[in-house]
Amino acid sequence: MSDSGMGAFWANLKALPRTFLGSFVRHGAPTSHRARSQSVFSNVFLHIHATRVHPHSLRLTTTWGLGVSLVAQFLILTVTGILLMVYYNPGLDQAYASMKDIHYVVPAGRLIRNIHRWAAHMMVFCVILHMTRVFYTSAYKAPREFNWVLGMGLFVLTLALSFSGYLLPWDQLAYWAIVIGANIAASPNEVIHAIGLPEAFNIGDIVRRILLGANHVGQDALLRFYLLHVIVLPIAMVFIIAAHIWRIRKDGGLARPGGTPSPAGKGAGSMTPAAQPPSAAPSKTYGLMCLVKGRSPCTGQDPDETVPAWPALLRAELFVFMLNMLICLVLGVFFDAPLREIANPGVPENPAKAPWYFLGLQEMVSYSALIGGVVVPTLAVIGLALIPYLDREAEPAGLWFSGARGKVVTFWSMVVGAILAVLSVAIPVNYGWLRNWFPDIPQLVIIAINPGSLVTLAYMAWSLIVIARTKSTRLGAVALFSCFLVGFVILTYVGTYLRGPNWDFYWRQSDWPIH
Amino acid sequence: MPSASPDSLDRRVKWGLLLASLATVALLIYSVLAECVWPQWRMLRAQYAQILKAKATDDRGRALAEQFEATIQQNVLPALHTVDRCITCHPAVDDPRMAGEKQPFRTHPGDFLRLHQPDTYGCTACHAGQGRATEQAAAHGDVEFWPSPMIPARYAYAGCGSCHTHVLVPSQAVLRRGRDAIARYGCLACHTLDGGGVKLPGVAGAAGPDLSQVGATGYDAGWYEKHVARAANADGGNGPSLRPIGEPARADLSRFLASRVGAPSLVEAKALFHSLGCRGCHKVNGVGGKEGPDLSRVGEKDPGRMDFTHVPGEPTLANWLAEHFRRPAAVVPGSQMPVLGLTEEQIDGLTLYMLSLRHSSIPETYQPKDRIRAERFGEREFATDGETLYSTFCAACHGASGQGMRYPGLPVSPAIASPDFLAVAADAFIAHTVQHGRPGRRMPAWGEKEGGLRPQEIQAIVAYLRSMSGLAAPEPDRQPARWVKGDTTAGNSLFATYCASCHGATGQGAEGPALNNTVLLASASDTYLTETIRRGRRGTVMAGFEKPSTVHPALTPSEIESIVSYIRTWETP
Repeated sequence: MSDSGMGAFWANLKALPRTFLGSFVRHGAPTSHRARSQSVFSNVFLHIHATRVHPHSLRLTTTWGLGVSLVAQFLILTVTGILLMVYYNPGLDQAYASMKDIHYVVPAGRLIRNIHRWAAHMMVFCVILHMTRVFYTSAYKAPREFNWVLGMGLFVLTLALSFSGYLLPWDQLAYWAIVIGANIAASPNEVIHAIGLPEAFNIGDIVRRILLGANHVGQDALLRFYLLHVIVLPIAMVFIIAAHIWRIRKDGGLARPGGTPSPAGKGAGSMTPAAQPPSAAPSKTYGLMCLVKGRSPCTGQDPDETVPAWPALLRAELFVFMLNMLICLVLGVFFDAPLREIANPGVPENPAKAPWYFLGLQEMVSYSALIGGVVVPTLAVIGLALIPYLDREAEPAGLWFSGARGKVVTFWSMVVGAILAVLSVAIPVNYGWLRNWFPDIPQLVIIAINPGSLVTLAYMAWSLIVIARTKSTRLGAVALFSCFLVGFVILTYVGTYLRGPNWDFYWRQSDWPIH
Repeated sequence: MPSASPDSLDRRVKWGLLLASLATVALLIYSVLAECVWPQWRMLRAQYAQILKAKATDDRGRALAEQFEATIQQNVLPALHTVDRCITCHPAVDDPRMAGEKQPFRTHPGDFLRLHQPDTYGCTACHAGQGRATEQAAAHGDVEFWPSPMIPARYAYAGCGSCHTHVLVPSQAVLRRGRDAIARYGCLACHTLDGGGVKLPGVAGAAGPDLSQVGATGYDAGWYEKHVARAANADGGNGPSLRPIGEPARADLSRFLASRVGAPSLVEAKALFHSLGCRGCHKVNGVGGKEGPDLSRVGEKDPGRMDFTHVPGEPTLANWLAEHFRRPAAVVPGSQMPVLGLTEEQIDGLTLYMLSLRHSSIPETYQPKDRIRAERFGEREFATDGETLYSTFCAACHGASGQGMRYPGLPVSPAIASPDFLAVAADAFIAHTVQHGRPGRRMPAWGEKEGGLRPQEIQAIVAYLRSMSGLAAPEPDRQPARWVKGDTTAGNSLFATYCASCHGATGQGAEGPALNNTVLLASASDTYLTETIRRGRRGTVMAGFEKPSTVHPALTPSEIESIVSYIRTWETP
């Protein structure tokens, strides 16, 4: 027995690589379609994909790779963020010094911080583009309404992550941006003051104290933002990302027009409206799973229209990931992330500007922190989240701008949105605003009626006009979204490049006064 | 849109993946080289290793050269909140063999490192700059967003001001007399001072101690008596020789020696500041006028936040300050600071002193004696003799010798050394004026709460004024302060005729000083006013009315008293 026991041990040892691998992948080399499907299906990380995908989903113009880019950026941010946490110290007298050490002496520290910063900017940028793509291809429509809501959550979380990371270097830029942020959080006080309620009703103070842990930006605020940035928000993000991707599958994969021509040219040119209603999509997923398991309750769809996710989809995803890696690396190697003087509460930055994606809001904040910093963004996020519930028109999903009419509406809405946004800056810059015209009107009026609130109302009115004229809620949504998008771009541009000290208007930065 | 077949799409993706991956790898290799091979500090350390090898003469030297590593070196100073990596590129600061090398490999000059060991103080505590940085421009602070760039080497002594407060620095004239006395009495025959003098046995055969830092370390107050005694005991020229030194020269010597703290050029610059009367308008550490900006921390100003539009050359704080001394109003539009007509040498000295006006927060154990003396025990930064006090606080407006000044665009400042003024002004009146100032005019109040001068210091200034004129104080006034009882109506018409043209119709002042100033009227006695009208002020437009002139007849005492009574009506507005 001992001899055969030793023989078995020897044989097991020799077979170890093969058995270990076999226990790990559980199927043969992915050479046949079946094995490819299995390798996706039986892997906990890969099974988030469908085993087979439609070529339409692989096309660049379908998604522009934005969703995968966001996952890539989130991964890059997580890895570089953990590395930064090793050296970063969220103590008031250590934070700035640890940034300097990361920059100058931590091995690869400068590169890692640069990549982290650039990836964060890219993520904010891509989340906006991704939302734009999903909106214009009407991919938010049933049954994907709730995934759109989850996406809004991810959008807000991305901004919150980026902003909470902004304070951590504890430099002038960080400090004064958070001071402004905290003042915006305290802005409900404006109304309390304006209607003359006693101090005890200052909800804003309470909100600010929760955010900062004190009345001023200091050690408590730094620690709170650190915890938000490295624990609370990322964990929330991971869960919602998981749900968001899981729902893509449960809602029938990427939205695409029914009857999309098959790759082999079968039925080519038949961009006809959906042969099947979108509600049939989940059953397709079910059918594919059955197919993998070897039974074939075909649901009326030709499986040959699809291609295996392994390797076509995985390779495309890997490509997008590497492309993002490369862009981050190029930016990180050649452009240092900014780091200003150490935070100094005695020397205000003028102008103190928020990160670029908030500058559109800051433009409105310059009139009223409450309207620009709280009401308009809250309304915008809620309004965006509700779009799929207010526009329930069934129409081909996955078609850019919903066809020719949509393109026309998009174009004119962008023109209208741009004109209104430009006016909202140009009129106050050239002619002043209510306070200049009627020095004695109550503050409440100024809070309520300012360029930001008026433009928002005008955009809503325009969208209602479009609904009435076109008798289509989808086109109304397209109008509203286009207006907000172009308004966001224009106000962000103005806030970034045309605003100087005291938030005054300057065509060039070289015109800024020095003192 | 062209619908690519899955195969061609897949092929493109493959190529894209390959290219992106290759480019990523290439960039990673580049960044490894950029961090591990190319940095300047690595090359410098390799260079220095060669120098070490070449200089090694014994086994220990060779072992040191062998051990020398291409790693970052740093002084970590938690107490000062600094980490200074300067010694990475300046490894030779404490190696005397490298005195002849070029920067960055030169030995630190002087014996500063003996008193301020780099492992206790680091480098940036004195030199400023960015200690944590490992690239030259960033380390020297010549980059954006670093508010404290290195102090230029030629103003290096300004760094002392971060921690030290040099106390009791006299005016240049006092300093010069002390230096002259050192030369006159041949002290440097035995002693060394500020790098001069002899270290060898002196003419009398004994090397005297170095005097360069006696102001900081202290010296025997009975040195003169001991020198005299030893000179008497010495036989035949073997002991110290000493000519008798008079009392005034000994006072000059002791003030001079008290200023020897090992930073001669900075003390010289501070003495210059104490000679030009700058504190008449500018406060430094709580003492000075309020007309100009407080200068207590002017050396810490961040050049990144200053306006260099009108400053030629590099945008450094030193350049800004120097140009500002040349043309104040051109550099700071709207500045009231007059053009002082300084020489380039003086401008250099003042720039050095301005750069030294900085103040580090340092823990107790790091506080030098002089700073504690100044901040805790209230010792003065300026010497408290009348001469230094006058030149520190008064000279800018009243002139170096009390002759009065007139800057373009500013009202004239009175000639307070005028014998006519000193003959009628009692000490108490002058002291009162100094203490309370003249509200409404440029003369600030110098009392402890305002300008920061103590009563005995004001007394010293008054005494010095007296000594300038050589006149004794006027006889004590036997009259009460208010004895004039003139006719105000007559006074009114006399004033309108003879006084209003210069002093204004309601005494508000024009060419001449304002007379309706309540503080003046409160402190000036009737005797002072009548006597001033009677005698006038020589050297000014104010003529004496005792005698007739081409423009006015002589006034009788009763007419003068009527004018004084009229002036007194403004006392209660």
